[in-house]
Amino acid sequence: MSLIVAAFGFGLVSMSIIAISAVGFTMQFGITNMINLAYGQVMIASAYAAYTVNNAGVSIWLALPVGAIFGAVFSFLLNRLIYAPFQRKGTNLIGMVIISLAVSLVIANVLLPIVGYYSVSYHQNPGPTYHLGSIALTGVQVAIIAVAVIVMLAIYALLRFTRLGKAMRATAANPTLARNCGIPTGRVVDLAWLITGALCGVAGTVAGMNSDSFSVASGSEFLIPIIAASILGGAGSPYGAMIGAVLIGEMTEISAAIISPEYKQVVAFAVLVLVMVLRPQGLLAKRGALAAAG
Amino acid sequence: MTYYLTTVLVYAAVDILACLAISLQFGVSGIVNFSFIIFQAAGAYTAGVLSLPKDTANGGFQTYILGLNLSFPLPWIGATLVGALLAPPIGLVVLRRLRSDYQAIAMLVLSVIASLVVTNTPAFLDGAAGLALVPQPLSDKFNAYSDGYQWAYTIGSLLLAVIVFFIVQRLINSPYGRSLRAMRENEVAANALGKNAVAMKMTVFVVGGAIAGLSGAILVGFITTWAPSTWLYPETLILFAAVIVGGRGNNYGAVLGALLVPVGFEEATRYLPPFGPPGLIPALEWVCIGGLILGFLWFRPRGVLPERRRVFAARPNPVEVGEQHAGGN
Repeated sequence: MSLIVAAFGFGLVSMSIIAISAVGFTMQFGITNMINLAYGQVMIASAYAAYTVNNAGVSIWLALPVGAIFGAVFSFLLNRLIYAPFQRKGTNLIGMVIISLAVSLVIANVLLPIVGYYSVSYHQNPGPTYHLGSIALTGVQVAIIAVAVIVMLAIYALLRFTRLGKAMRATAANPTLARNCGIPTGRVVDLAWLITGALCGVAGTVAGMNSDSFSVASGSEFLIPIIAASILGGAGSPYGAMIGAVLIGEMTEISAAIISPEYKQVVAFAVLVLVMVLRPQGLLAKRGALAAAG
Repeated sequence: MTYYLTTVLVYAAVDILACLAISLQFGVSGIVNFSFIIFQAAGAYTAGVLSLPKDTANGGFQTYILGLNLSFPLPWIGATLVGALLAPPIGLVVLRRLRSDYQAIAMLVLSVIASLVVTNTPAFLDGAAGLALVPQPLSDKFNAYSDGYQWAYTIGSLLLAVIVFFIVQRLINSPYGRSLRAMRENEVAANALGKNAVAMKMTVFVVGGAIAGLSGAILVGFITTWAPSTWLYPETLILFAAVIVGGRGNNYGAVLGALLVPVGFEEATRYLPPFGPPGLIPALEWVCIGGLILGFLWFRPRGVLPERRRVFAARPNPVEVGEQHAGGN
């Protein structure tokens, strides 16, 4: 039993990382109608950007914003230089998925010769260990949870209270109508890529902080729980992604304690299959991954 | 020399089969099967465990299920069947209600997970080490190391590729093929005309799976080993690159793509002088594959040999629409 309670504690950390990344992933989809399969690779590239700074002797907490800025600029350029031109050309949804997968392959293999094949880990002080019953978390893990809570509140405030958030929701709901109402949708989309890219960068860096070591290959591993959480919550819905992250994070960690850590991803996948069979629109979204009525 | 030529040609036959299947699924019917490689892997593993003896043989250094030691055509037939039978369960989950791009990512995730499960379950198909010493077809009757055998194997595989080519050609030129293209162009309209899009997608999925299974059997019968590292998800993307370069929806394009991308790339890099740190050339190869896809989708989305446009001549005497209206009044 105490094993499961301890796993619940790790689940809190896991869900924090998945929440930060899945909210970014699902917002990219919601606002630009684009499933960005290169997301995991941008995460790992940002983690390496933070590593470069960290390795030069800077504290990891100062390197975290570097990861965020790198992710933001990278995602922005990715959209401006590749995705947006293809979308303007009228490439269909399937074409865009193939393009993003090709981009993901290119990023991973450009990164590989630059950063090398060996796993690296951040220079960080794990801090004191906090105990609560059987739950034992390091200072870094508690800080990751705090970062996630702050980020979630910030996203909520952005979407709920700011003009930009309103414009984003309008663009997500109906881009043509939003443009006709005078919302500069081009600029909204640019800002959306910057913000979601920053989330992606933060997520990549905290994922690297939470694991013993990471390598380029970790990029595609990140993606599975993110996709599972986004679809479970309802594709395109940020709050859905938060709920999905909580469920996927806890389920994968607790199953790791009960079954075996190797099958973490398989559990995430099993949840994904159940959602696709029973409720493709996810928990919150009306449309989600559901096809148009046909 | 014989060894080199036969290897290239057998790989060509396998890639042509795979590209024909992808062209049928993606080019003609518009299904992006990002888990294609697991169908090929399923065929290869099936052919392997059907033709291998019990896992206690060979000193028992590998563990796997079955080990039936069946004689030649049976493992290949089994592989084709397993490839086909794998399609319905996947198709039932993925192809029914999801939006087309979600179908694609669901299959991508499946491909990653399948590889993870096989790697972490050594008792099933020998985990990460994979199957080795798979007996070559009819190797109990002929000397598998002789030139004659190698050539016979090559010609046999190429013949199978030709046969499948004509089957797929017949299929896509038939009225059924026309329905498939209608579904690709506008699924809602095809549904409205009474075409059952889900059933058509399932059929194409099964046919493609069978071809993939066969291609896996041919490959494993030649190279005699099969492990998770040979069927990682980017391998599917190479085949997609081939079909996009060659021309999707056109079988000649699929063949050309298979010869240019998987075969041509491998051969071209073989003659490159080694440069840079180890691993740089494979990484650059992947960058080129990604670049090929992006470049072709941007500059020539229909490929080198585009799909033939099917136009129908207008009827000499169009039906009198007005008259029918008058009759209805």
